[in-house]
Amino acid sequence: MADFIKNVKGFFNKIGSAIKKFFWDIRRRINNVKRRIGNFLDKHNLNFASKFPGWAKALIYLSPALIVLAIFTFYPIINSFALVVYQNYNMTNDTITGYTIFGNFLTVITDDSFIVPASHTGSSAVINTLIIVFISVPISVLLALFIAAALNSIKPLKNFFQTIYFLPYVTNTIAIGLVFAYMFKAEGGLVNQFLSLFGMNTENLSWVESGAVFWRSMFVLIFYSIWSSLAFKIMVFLTSIQGIDKQYYQAAAIDATPRNRIFSKITVPLISPMIFYILVTSVIGAFKIYNAIVALFGVSGQPAGVDYNLQSIVMYIYKFIDGSNAGNLSVAAAGSLILFAIILVLTLVQMQVSKKRVHY
Amino acid sequence: MDKNLFLKSNKIEKITLVFDFLALAFYIFAFFALFNMLALPEVVDGHMQLDTLQFMLPIYNLLNVTFDKYAMNTMITLDMLFMLVATPMLVTNIKKLKNRTIYEIDSYTASAKFIQGIINLFSLNIVSGVLRIINMFVLVKFVKGYNAKEFFKSIFPAIKAKFKQWTTKKEKIDESKLDEYSISIKKSIRRQTAVSAIRISFTYIFLIVMALIIIIPFYWMVLTSLKDFSGSTSTNPAFFLNISQMNWVNYKVVLTEMNFGLYIKNTVIVAIFSTLGTVITTILAAYAFARIEFKGREVLFSILIMTMMIPGELYIITNFITVSKNGFGWVGMPTGENSYFVAMIIPFITSISYIFFLRQNFKQIPESLYKAARVDGCSDFKYLMRVMVPIASPTIFTITILNIFSSWNAYIWPRIITGVGGLEGQQYWLISNALRDTAFVLDNGRVMYNLQIAASALVTVPLLIVFFMFRKYIMNGIGRSGTKG
Repeated sequence: MADFIKNVKGFFNKIGSAIKKFFWDIRRRINNVKRRIGNFLDKHNLNFASKFPGWAKALIYLSPALIVLAIFTFYPIINSFALVVYQNYNMTNDTITGYTIFGNFLTVITDDSFIVPASHTGSSAVINTLIIVFISVPISVLLALFIAAALNSIKPLKNFFQTIYFLPYVTNTIAIGLVFAYMFKAEGGLVNQFLSLFGMNTENLSWVESGAVFWRSMFVLIFYSIWSSLAFKIMVFLTSIQGIDKQYYQAAAIDATPRNRIFSKITVPLISPMIFYILVTSVIGAFKIYNAIVALFGVSGQPAGVDYNLQSIVMYIYKFIDGSNAGNLSVAAAGSLILFAIILVLTLVQMQVSKKRVHY
Repeated sequence: MDKNLFLKSNKIEKITLVFDFLALAFYIFAFFALFNMLALPEVVDGHMQLDTLQFMLPIYNLLNVTFDKYAMNTMITLDMLFMLVATPMLVTNIKKLKNRTIYEIDSYTASAKFIQGIINLFSLNIVSGVLRIINMFVLVKFVKGYNAKEFFKSIFPAIKAKFKQWTTKKEKIDESKLDEYSISIKKSIRRQTAVSAIRISFTYIFLIVMALIIIIPFYWMVLTSLKDFSGSTSTNPAFFLNISQMNWVNYKVVLTEMNFGLYIKNTVIVAIFSTLGTVITTILAAYAFARIEFKGREVLFSILIMTMMIPGELYIITNFITVSKNGFGWVGMPTGENSYFVAMIIPFITSISYIFFLRQNFKQIPESLYKAARVDGCSDFKYLMRVMVPIASPTIFTITILNIFSSWNAYIWPRIITGVGGLEGQQYWLISNALRDTAFVLDNGRVMYNLQIAASALVTVPLLIVFFMFRKYIMNGIGRSGTKG
């Protein structure tokens, strides 16, 4: 029996090696031919491959990315400057009635509900956005800083907490936004139930539906935007705190420096470039807030049955592209250029300051 | 140390893992079978009678045993729990078996085996449970040299000794004999311990409160998705659910009647193709920027970096014109002539930030490696595929996962694209659009929050599963990109 198995094994081994040999032979022959062709070309000075210039090779590698970027990134930048000077651009038949330089910007700036509060809702996109920026960014940065410092000071359960704090980063903004809106509803909502534990009268307390006042809806929006933006900041702060040289802390420990002094005199100054970077990126992110509003209050940014509007700058822009009622895209382009200008200024400030100021 | 015992334990563990796998396969099969059996409300004029959903009392029949809705809910919940326990256990055990060395075995390994065996017994996986407990005896013999019989005999004295250890008090030092100096030192030590204990407990309380704020929306989402309609709209919602009250049928309604099966399929298609495109173009471009010398490389790269700060809204306006009738004609054409998938995938098959991220990684690979490969006659492409990609594979993997996440969460571009198409466009909704725009309403206009939240859970849970599987890659990627950015 054992003999038989040995025979069978040997047989298969033979077949295997024969197949291997066959392919190796083919490969060897191809390589031979290649070498001969190469020699021939070298002899007659025809070998272009060796003279292939660097940029041509680079072009081959870059072309897939560059073609897509040219069509969907570079062209739109140029085209939006073209769109801004069109008057009454009609998307369906690609026609315009004339040219204007500042007309579209003026339309945006004087438009109802962009800067000037609209007459029927009493709220404007810019003011809404500024409220969100000025309240949510400082709170979330400070909170993230405290959480990162607290996380850095503990050993057990550190990974566990880190994982939990990271969860909002990997979730769908719309899905969790719907859950948040539901949690603040009067029917089936958790928040009202929680507040009634403290003896508050939550009979007709509504946050995101008819009967809610502006600041209550705004509170929900700011709460959600802080909740969802915290993860990234904690992560970045934690990595930079862990990157601080341990010697500073050891020196402080020898001097018996109190904890709060260590935090304010060592930790914060040493990660100040990162704090400033996060501050600017989160201001930019807050200026571009859109998905959270859509998730909480619907596409129009207006909770059902209230007389105010919570739309942001980006929401104002998207109103012109919205689905079937394609409106005046020139005005949208003007709005997005204004947004771009704001972001550009912030970025330049960040670059300048991080070059000079922020250090200990 | 008896090596044979170690090998025997490993052998038993291997057999156990086979049974674990079979059990997991059975759980998954049972879940699908039971989920398939769930009765839906009847359809009248192509419209499901959703208001009857919570009052239905269907009778199920499985292998000649009849049971009602509540028994069915209990069975599915338990099956789900078993799956939740068995999957991570199988994965970690396979990993451990691969890396386990003879020096790592101690009494904790044995007790861990025992606990796992008990969990197996509870989750109706009797063979694995028995095998694990046998394995525990083998490990006990390996560590302590006891037989099974001696082991049982040794339990009681061990507990007694432990109990004695707890009950005997520490000897008190008579403070009257100490001098003043050591008393003061003692006091200050005591004060310091108290202060640090208070500080640590405050830190933990703060962290726990924040963690609760983070975690409660997820818990509330899963809980609400399993409630029935009246439970989800009551003004005094329950914070816990009995397992027989968990209505798994909500998910079935969302998947079939609300068409979420189709939307998930659409999203997976878009995610796969755009990620494939992104990875290929990104690797090639990052290689060109990192290794190939050509004129204007730095200029081109800094132009790319500068475009990163331009807001996406600026692109979307023109891109919408580009893909619609007057451009490529992918959308906005008469019904039947549109290619929505192309319009949703092509603009996103490359990403400047990932090129930047990957280029940084490629740059860290020493240049001498490239020179050596060139001397050996390795072409550029071969070098990229054989050397660069394997070395940078963790980064590429991170890029893949992050890109899949961002396509899974894409909202505004798909909304604009499918919004043009009216009813036809609705067939191409991605999940985020479907979540926002599907009407989860009853005939009387009330919103069925339990179904809406079930759809949200359906969108969120796959993300969480992928996150927990590849936690290290994702968190490292974010941390690094943040510090460099």
